Amino acid sequence: MRPNALEALRGVQAALMESIVPELSTMYAQDVSQVLQMLIESLAGEWDSAADDLVRDNRRLVELLSQARGALQPLAASNGDIGPLVQQLDETLAAKADDSLRLSSLTARNNALRGALEQVLVRIEDATGRPGTEALTPVRKALYDHLRQVSVRGWSFWDMASFREKMAALRAGGAA
Amino acid sequence: MLEERIAAYLRAKLTGAEGVAVSDLRRIPGGASRETWAFDARWRQDGEERGQGFVLRRDPDASLLETDRNVEFQVMGAVSGEGIPVPRMFWLENDGAWLDRPFFVMERIDGCETSPTKVLMDPQFFPGRARLAEDFVQILARIHALDWSRAGLATLGVPKDAASCAITQIEAWEAVVDRDALEPQPVLRAAFRWLRRHLPREAQRIVLVHADYRTGNFLCAPDGQIKGILDWELTHLGDPLEDVAWAAIRPWRWLGNELVGGLMERRDYYRRYEAASGLSVDEESVRFWEVLGNVKLAAIFLTGAHSFCDGRTRSPMMAFLSRNNSRLELEIMDLMGV
Repeated sequence: MRPNALEALRGVQAALMESIVPELSTMYAQDVSQVLQMLIESLAGEWDSAADDLVRDNRRLVELLSQARGALQPLAASNGDIGPLVQQLDETLAAKADDSLRLSSLTARNNALRGALEQVLVRIEDATGRPGTEALTPVRKALYDHLRQVSVRGWSFWDMASFREKMAALRAGGAA
Repeated sequence: MLEERIAAYLRAKLTGAEGVAVSDLRRIPGGASRETWAFDARWRQDGEERGQGFVLRRDPDASLLETDRNVEFQVMGAVSGEGIPVPRMFWLENDGAWLDRPFFVMERIDGCETSPTKVLMDPQFFPGRARLAEDFVQILARIHALDWSRAGLATLGVPKDAASCAITQIEAWEAVVDRDALEPQPVLRAAFRWLRRHLPREAQRIVLVHADYRTGNFLCAPDGQIKGILDWELTHLGDPLEDVAWAAIRPWRWLGNELVGGLMERRDYYRRYEAASGLSVDEESVRFWEVLGNVKLAAIFLTGAHSFCDGRTRSPMMAFLSRNNSRLELEIMDLMGV
């Protein structure tokens, strides 16, 4: 369907800039309109890749949690917290994933997997540096590598110069 | 009309005033934790025409922060006589009888700018940059030198000792994440563990910590003079390096480069602060406080997102800011060295 969502969002941005902002007489309204621009930019930035990102993330999280389970299992005998965590990982990994590509379904699975990852990471941080936990070091690195890859997709509000460049590109009719 | 209601309030507060009139009421951007309104008032008193510009800070329906307006009012009142530039505080109302929600009223300082975009990117502020950088550090040192006990600010809660300042802040912000996170937060949870394993040196002394001291929270004149420090709602007693680090975190650099606050090189910042405060800046301790600062900002944004998703606010700012948390997470991981 044309215009697609991204094209429509770009149209909303252009209308805001060309038709609405010039009519705004208060600083507060202008400020709100700028926040709306940034919010739309943030949404537009993830629209096309959102489902693909979640599918890939979920696949990678399953691999990472399996790897973590393998590294944690031998420690269960000496650490009472590890056994329940391994069991939780088993349950999370065994949960049948919905085949749906709806963002809500993919996000629900992502949250379940990230919730498990959160538990694993906290345990690994607690164990870091303790004797007998060397096997966790590569797992820790792999988990953080993944989290960094996810985080780097985000967009920051604090770099005003780059936001201005994005908006200038939009005004010039190009995709920012 | 809000204007009429404010005029009625002033009539009740300005003893002996006649003909109180309020004009040019306008909402001011920023100050996401409270609505901020500016207005002019004129009245007759003792046979004279009088006028005053005011700022009114009213509790919002929902906020980035659940902060105590009493703290902000009390602290700004207390520090104003201590060589720290702040607007004069007038009245505090803790119920919604007058304007539906609690609020306080303070002096408006005209001719100044708060927006980092303006202060850092508008050429009219360029000649004042050197003075601004100097004022920024000098005032921070003055806040930290303030005798908070004599100023009546022990009521903010005195840490049990200098070593407990860091852990108190970790616990406070972890509680915010516990309360407001709507999704798993692996990076923030891991960061809290990292912070507990990397506690800073104990505070050199327990000082008044502004806790939101940064570019964007001061009133800057075109010549670079800072005429007012704003947003004292997170103020507490603690470690001075908490403020030193907060001012330096990446989100408040604004220009996409490494200048602290968009104002000065980090080494220069430390050197000036040490000279002005007599305290030393331990870089590993600052790293701890920078990690915590980014975690704190992410937690604040989670609170805003929670309010937005609950429908307690429709502010686009609340929706937008938490969508930036992934970049804060990246910064946190960089600082943790993972």
